[in-house]
Amino acid sequence: MSSSNGRRPGTRGPGARPQSIWRLPSVWIAIAVLTAVAFLAVFGSALAPQNPLAINANALYQGPSAHHLFGTDYLGRDVLSRMMAGTRLSVLTALEAVGIGLVLGALPGIATAFLGRWFDFIANRVADALMTLPYIFFAVAVTAALGNTLTHAMIPVGILLAPLFFRVTRAATLEHARSQYVEAAELLGASKVHVIRVHVLRKVLPNIAVTTASMAAAALLAVSFLTFLGIGVQPPAPTWGGILSSDLDYLSQAPWAPFIPGAIIAITVGALNALADAFRDRSSAGALVLVDPVTQHVRRTDPRNLEPVDGDRQSQSVA
Amino acid sequence: MTVIDLIRPGPARAAGAATPPRQRRGRTAMVRIGGGLVVLVPIVALSTFITFGLGALSNSDPAATILGQDAATPAAVAHLNRVLGVDHPLVVQYWHWLTQAAQGNLGRSWFTQIPVAQSISQRLPVDLSIAILAVILAIVIGGTAGAVAAIRRGGWFDRGVTMACSVLSTLPAFVIGIILVVLFAVTVHLLPANGYVGPTTSILQWLKYIILPSLALSLQVSADIARQLRTSLVEVLDRNYIVGAKVRGLPYRRIMIRHALRNAAGPALTILGNDFPQMLAGAVAAEAVFSLPGLGQLLLESAETRDMPVVQGVLLVISTFVIVVNLLVNTTLNWLYRTSDGLGA
Repeated sequence: MSSSNGRRPGTRGPGARPQSIWRLPSVWIAIAVLTAVAFLAVFGSALAPQNPLAINANALYQGPSAHHLFGTDYLGRDVLSRMMAGTRLSVLTALEAVGIGLVLGALPGIATAFLGRWFDFIANRVADALMTLPYIFFAVAVTAALGNTLTHAMIPVGILLAPLFFRVTRAATLEHARSQYVEAAELLGASKVHVIRVHVLRKVLPNIAVTTASMAAAALLAVSFLTFLGIGVQPPAPTWGGILSSDLDYLSQAPWAPFIPGAIIAITVGALNALADAFRDRSSAGALVLVDPVTQHVRRTDPRNLEPVDGDRQSQSVA
Repeated sequence: MTVIDLIRPGPARAAGAATPPRQRRGRTAMVRIGGGLVVLVPIVALSTFITFGLGALSNSDPAATILGQDAATPAAVAHLNRVLGVDHPLVVQYWHWLTQAAQGNLGRSWFTQIPVAQSISQRLPVDLSIAILAVILAIVIGGTAGAVAAIRRGGWFDRGVTMACSVLSTLPAFVIGIILVVLFAVTVHLLPANGYVGPTTSILQWLKYIILPSLALSLQVSADIARQLRTSLVEVLDRNYIVGAKVRGLPYRRIMIRHALRNAAGPALTILGNDFPQMLAGAVAAEAVFSLPGLGQLLLESAETRDMPVVQGVLLVISTFVIVVNLLVNTTLNWLYRTSDGLGA
């Protein structure tokens, strides 16, 4: 696509130097949100003001108040405490899935540029095949086979994130693997490992970072969705999705209740996406590497003109 | 990025180069689709093998499960294992399962003995109803919003659409569903909050029950379509042939539809294809929120009892759907790019 015609007013031209992402308020807000979530993941259950499992028959469906900041649920349990106590499981299992996807996807993605055509062909077909399995169906099917725990459910989610990591890393690697300085290094007798480590990895890392952030958002959505469906967690234990699911049964008594877990999930996911967008837009290597859907040619696109198609789109197609 | 890359450059293009243009178009299309189908073989094989492999991975013993605690004598278990074919090597079992599945036989539930194909065909219309209506809604809502935003670039409508799109893309599908329930069913009592009536019973009732789930399912896709259409339409509208058409004095409507929208539609259509797996997840969410008796609920019910034939059957049907939809989208895209100088070609 042509690079300058459709530019929105106010965005900078392709020649302008990218600004540091630290100047963006959205990045600071996103980091603040994510730090808070990480803090809650570590200390949440210890800091919870009340016992997240304590039932109080005298305080059902209470609205937000000084005593119950987020109100109480259908058993009179304090929703704030339940949200805090549920943070750790959501965050840890989301990280589990992202870790699996990163290792299974990014490593072959880098390797494929150096291992020859056959490896590339097979890896691409495996990625294609995995992408025909919608994550939610696959995850539920795996819990049916292996047993109903959240850890089991997030393994398939991680496996299905891998092709997305693979595609992005492969496209970025291919671009650098064919550049002149890599050729020069090879002529000078550098080994493949040296070329990958020194010349390629450093260039590909920003792409991997962007993908990791948007995949973390996708994984968090997946955890919330799976726990919402009742996969992997036994009822009294609090999870973000589980709280939402139980609120749904009592909408006529407390129609506002689902908005609290819903908003917290959305804010966390939004923070991760904002961070990914900022990195993509502003870092010098952030220009999106795309594989043209029609011609299969790798091309670079100015991210400010084209809506993010690759990393971001795929993260949403997972969600 | 498409899931299955049907259209490959190279041999197909070269093969058609010698024949006259009109014929060439037909032949290259054939060669391309044929080539695409060949590419599909390993994908289908791998995807189905993963689905089948789940059964082998599961540590439950089918014969013991079917027979139950009391009747599971060693002789009975051995006999049933022979009937089920579990004593064969895995690859043989896989081939048997796949060929049976291709003929529409997905086995029977371990618990109810109901044929899996029958349970799936009972549930599928529910999902198809909301999915088809959702696609229509997404094209109408997203297409209109994206086109108007692009035409009134920088205006308040444009800003509103951009805002709405970013909010919608962070909200999980099930949260959107719940918000719709709260808005239209609990607060206003306009539409039913849950349940389902088949279209054969009453078309009007059917629409009434599926409109909210479909809307919940379509909103995110609408946002994606609107965003993509806005971007590509803005780009197309700046092109010389649009200016040329305006200079020639063509009617505005004709310029928009024949010249601008047609050329800008490709990327938005790709989005629709890419969003299909996401829509399946959305359908599961919609089923859960609106308690619809669809495939997702069937999967969840059978996963709870670890009824592997049903689980495998649902997964097989769903992944087949994804493959077919991608094939359709790719073929349509191919046609679009052949017949226009659309973006990205």
